[in-house]
Amino acid sequence: MLVAPSILIVLALTIFPLGFAIWASFVQYDFSLGLEHPWVGLDNYKENWNDPVWVHSLWVTAILATTMVAVELALGFVLALAMMRPFRGRRALTVLFVIPLFMSPVIVGGFFDLFLRRPFGPMNWLLGELLRHPVTIDFTNDSPWTYISLIIADAWQWTPFMFIILLAGLSAIPDDLYEAADLDGAKPRQSFFFVTMPLLAPIVLIAVTFRFIDAVKLFDIIYSLTRGGPGTETYTASYYLYQQGFELFHLGQGTAGALMLMVMLTFVSFWLVRRLLKPVEA
Amino acid sequence: MSEDIHEGLDGPDPSIFGTPTGRKDFLFDSAKLLAAAAAAGPFFMAAEQAQAAIEASTAVGGDPIATSAVNAAKQYKGITLTKTNESGLQALDDHNFTGPLWEKLTGIKIKVIESPFAQIYSKVIAEHIAGTGGIDVIDGSPVWMPDFAEQKVIDPIDGYIAKYKARSTLNDYHPLYRALMKYKNRTWGFFDDGDVWNLYYRKDIFSNAKLKAAYRAKFKRNLRVPRTWDEFTETSQFITDQMAPKVYGGGEGRGLGNPGNQFYFFQQFRARGGQFFNPVTMKAQINNPIGVKTMQSIMAEIKASAPGIEKLSFVDSWVQWLQGKTAMIYAWPPTGRISENYAQRDKAFNFLPKSTIVGKVGYSLMPQLNGEHAGSFVKMVSSDSKNKDAAYLFTQWATSPSISLQRVQLPYTLRDAYRISHYKSKQFRSRWPSAGEYLKALNDAANNAVLDPIMTGAADYANALDREMTAIYAGKDIQTALNDVAKEWDGITNKLGVEKQRASYAAFLKLPGSTSKNTVAKKGQAVRITA
Amino acid sequence: MAIDTASAGTRGRGDTRVVRGSPFRLGTVARAVIIAAYAGFLLLPLYWAAVTSIKPQEDLLADPPVWWPSNPTNIHYTTALENFNGWKGLENSLIVASVTTVIALIIGTAAAYSMARFRTGGKHLAFWFLSQRMLLPIAVIIPVFLLYSRYSEAWFGIQLVDTKTGLVLLYTVFALPFTVWMMYVYFRQMPVELEEAALVDGCSRIQAIWKIACPLAAPGLVSAAAFAFIFSWTEFLFAQVLARDSAITLPVALAGIITGFQGNQYGEASALTMVSLVPALFLGILVQRHLVRGLTLGAVQG
Repeated sequence: MLVAPSILIVLALTIFPLGFAIWASFVQYDFSLGLEHPWVGLDNYKENWNDPVWVHSLWVTAILATTMVAVELALGFVLALAMMRPFRGRRALTVLFVIPLFMSPVIVGGFFDLFLRRPFGPMNWLLGELLRHPVTIDFTNDSPWTYISLIIADAWQWTPFMFIILLAGLSAIPDDLYEAADLDGAKPRQSFFFVTMPLLAPIVLIAVTFRFIDAVKLFDIIYSLTRGGPGTETYTASYYLYQQGFELFHLGQGTAGALMLMVMLTFVSFWLVRRLLKPVEA
Repeated sequence: MSEDIHEGLDGPDPSIFGTPTGRKDFLFDSAKLLAAAAAAGPFFMAAEQAQAAIEASTAVGGDPIATSAVNAAKQYKGITLTKTNESGLQALDDHNFTGPLWEKLTGIKIKVIESPFAQIYSKVIAEHIAGTGGIDVIDGSPVWMPDFAEQKVIDPIDGYIAKYKARSTLNDYHPLYRALMKYKNRTWGFFDDGDVWNLYYRKDIFSNAKLKAAYRAKFKRNLRVPRTWDEFTETSQFITDQMAPKVYGGGEGRGLGNPGNQFYFFQQFRARGGQFFNPVTMKAQINNPIGVKTMQSIMAEIKASAPGIEKLSFVDSWVQWLQGKTAMIYAWPPTGRISENYAQRDKAFNFLPKSTIVGKVGYSLMPQLNGEHAGSFVKMVSSDSKNKDAAYLFTQWATSPSISLQRVQLPYTLRDAYRISHYKSKQFRSRWPSAGEYLKALNDAANNAVLDPIMTGAADYANALDREMTAIYAGKDIQTALNDVAKEWDGITNKLGVEKQRASYAAFLKLPGSTSKNTVAKKGQAVRITA
Repeated sequence: MAIDTASAGTRGRGDTRVVRGSPFRLGTVARAVIIAAYAGFLLLPLYWAAVTSIKPQEDLLADPPVWWPSNPTNIHYTTALENFNGWKGLENSLIVASVTTVIALIIGTAAAYSMARFRTGGKHLAFWFLSQRMLLPIAVIIPVFLLYSRYSEAWFGIQLVDTKTGLVLLYTVFALPFTVWMMYVYFRQMPVELEEAALVDGCSRIQAIWKIACPLAAPGLVSAAAFAFIFSWTEFLFAQVLARDSAITLPVALAGIITGFQGNQYGEASALTMVSLVPALFLGILVQRHLVRGLTLGAVQG
């Protein structure tokens, strides 16, 4: 059986952990309380909802993920439009533009920290030169700049993702459709809204879905750029759960939260994934 | 009470011995090791320390604690011991010095699991829950010790100390450090890093005639190294007003978890008379007026410091200090060594620039006397280890008077003097002109130190406070923020069990330095040494 | 339309095609400005990391910032690589990512072929594979750790914690949904006739896959490989938890440098950043054309 190895390895490394996680979420599994595991029902789940940081981190996750995806989509789209027509050096530039995709987000967060950090990161100095007066923004410590910093770093890494997909999508729109629109007397703007946009919509949907699923898992950049700070302001759900589960070893609570997050994530993206299946199964 | 200590530790006492290695063998071995060290490249720069350590561990007349550990460990030749350490410089001690030497002497390899400081805790627990003996020696903070002890992550070492007749190794620990190895009447590891904060200040700035005159004109009294916290913020603001941007009054890096803002709070809160919990009800008391005052004072310090420090790491503030941009810094003991360029002669220590303030640095106790004993390390034996005896023997050897003396003198080390024999060491005192004053300052600091809360739940309490302090730096109201922390602390206490926490806190309160009222000095146990 | 996959199997293999007739154009100036601005945004932080990696200590925290050090040094590179696990991390990352890619490709392609040609498991199996993508790393990380240590020891007498094998297995699981799904899509689109002809000519099924199907699916394979490699090359969370010492990867080595007690060692961190960029650059050049398909599970043709 050709499928056997794949199924086996995926089963071995997902079913056991998931089963274990579900069990751990219903028992007392907390290093600081000892390693017996009495059944506690939904206590671990309630514990999360009683913690304002968890609720806050869900909001942060939702808002950051949405904003990041939107910013990356917009930037990627503009860039794809600009890069659509051939010119010398286009290949080389495309290679350059996709490099961030090959870098570990934790590394990206690391050098953005270096770039933005007050007082010696060059960002403030650059802004100061541009605006002709001294700028002292604390990018990684002052709200809302912390969020903005995270979005910038994430956009740096993932705009290429949107860009390259949209570039492919734009290039695939047949020319004759534009010609037809032209013949019908459509202005460029109209043909953009009535030809480009509808044809691009499915691809945008794919790109947004994939990006969104990843953005909800946001962890690495937080870890290396803001570490959730100041206070708990930039805690994302993943960061909160990492801390609860793996730094402080409240495992029951951590896995309970992770399971809830997973269910939420699945609901949100389920219908999107169903749409992805359609063209293939048709 | 004055300490009864071994006077002869620089030239040790040959009373307890296994089978001593012959002098000739030893010379031959150490010659080979040194050659290997030289061949190992530029990062093995501590040849002098290696030489001394081998001598102490093998030679006739060597350090009995070290030699007996080596001789007893030889039967485990060929095994590998895995230990934790903090990533980066701390781990270089194991990689470049302690590990190779121990292997050379006993045939036991040392493998290091490196992680950032706070994550040593999680790595250790993860390995313990997995229960597979992945770690033999836990090099970690004493504040985790109660949790480790309660959850049987570590074994008490009293039995081993008796078995290997090593009780005398405890004698010349500074009383503060000797006390904190104990939790609920058992010994849980060998203390290995004397991390009390001192105030380091620029003698040249404090004796600057113009500055002194300006200070006199403004405050009608003489400029001096501050003795209270209010005086500290006032003086530091004054220096900043006078000298910025060339020099700022103070500058402690206060980035989150780097290494942890709770230390700043713990220190001043106790110096001002605060207590973490009500020992009866176990309600958190950090949001009381003393806590608020402490936080206000910390905010005033930040205002008097170079811009951006609320996000800087501790090392960044060292950089500014070494570049001469800071008049006062309160920090860990390496500050003294790096100020004199003692550390920077090693290539591995390249994360700090050369000092521009050599010979200009004075050492003082913290304002209001109480310096925080912040973080630090204890070498503990994992209960999951498959080679507990060997693991124990390694900790005995590495912390033995002679070996630890060499380790705290490694140029790149971040481990700091903790034995009375370290403070008195002629060798250490010859490292730079004011090294004697430096070692005396470390000893005096330990006499007056306050301890991090060494109790169950310590990691949770610290985490809650650390992150909320960064929120205060970013503008959150102090009282609100401290109330939030207190609420979180009460939540942690309830979750862990009020009764259990009360017992754990009571055990902590018995330690010298749990509050400013029962420091080693206040208990009449201060160690007096001369500069 | 690229997503109209019925006829897509045979086209879209080459470079991104060029639109000539489109009336919707940005002016040359606007395009140049956008491209230049984006390139600036992309390169500025990288330049800063590059220049930081060769700055002597005195220049690191200088204010105003030093844009070019007067006496560049390579000390951060030697320290980061030799003393702070740089070489080890680089070597491990390369090995783990390459091996993961090969394994995921082989077993994933086999599974996809079977599902596409023999309808193994019907469409549910394919969907099941895809749904693994929803798996939240943070939810399974602790159980995986226990599985790799306590349980693998008890059941098989081996420990997978801190081994490259352990990381490869786990990364394979996370790369497989992509590989399987993408190759499934690809094989579904490929005409069966060629393989049938080969079978009639006396080829075995394995030969038919190896000689006919795989070469035809080459672009899909490259995309799948690119994805598997990127995933395992950049992954951090699992490596951080599962690697103690001998299996640490480059991102873990770097995280150790930026969060240590000594604070962020800017020079060393930047040096490792630059080191990690080298393979990224090579990969960018190699697989750029096939990236789109990889990133979208084959739904969009590059």
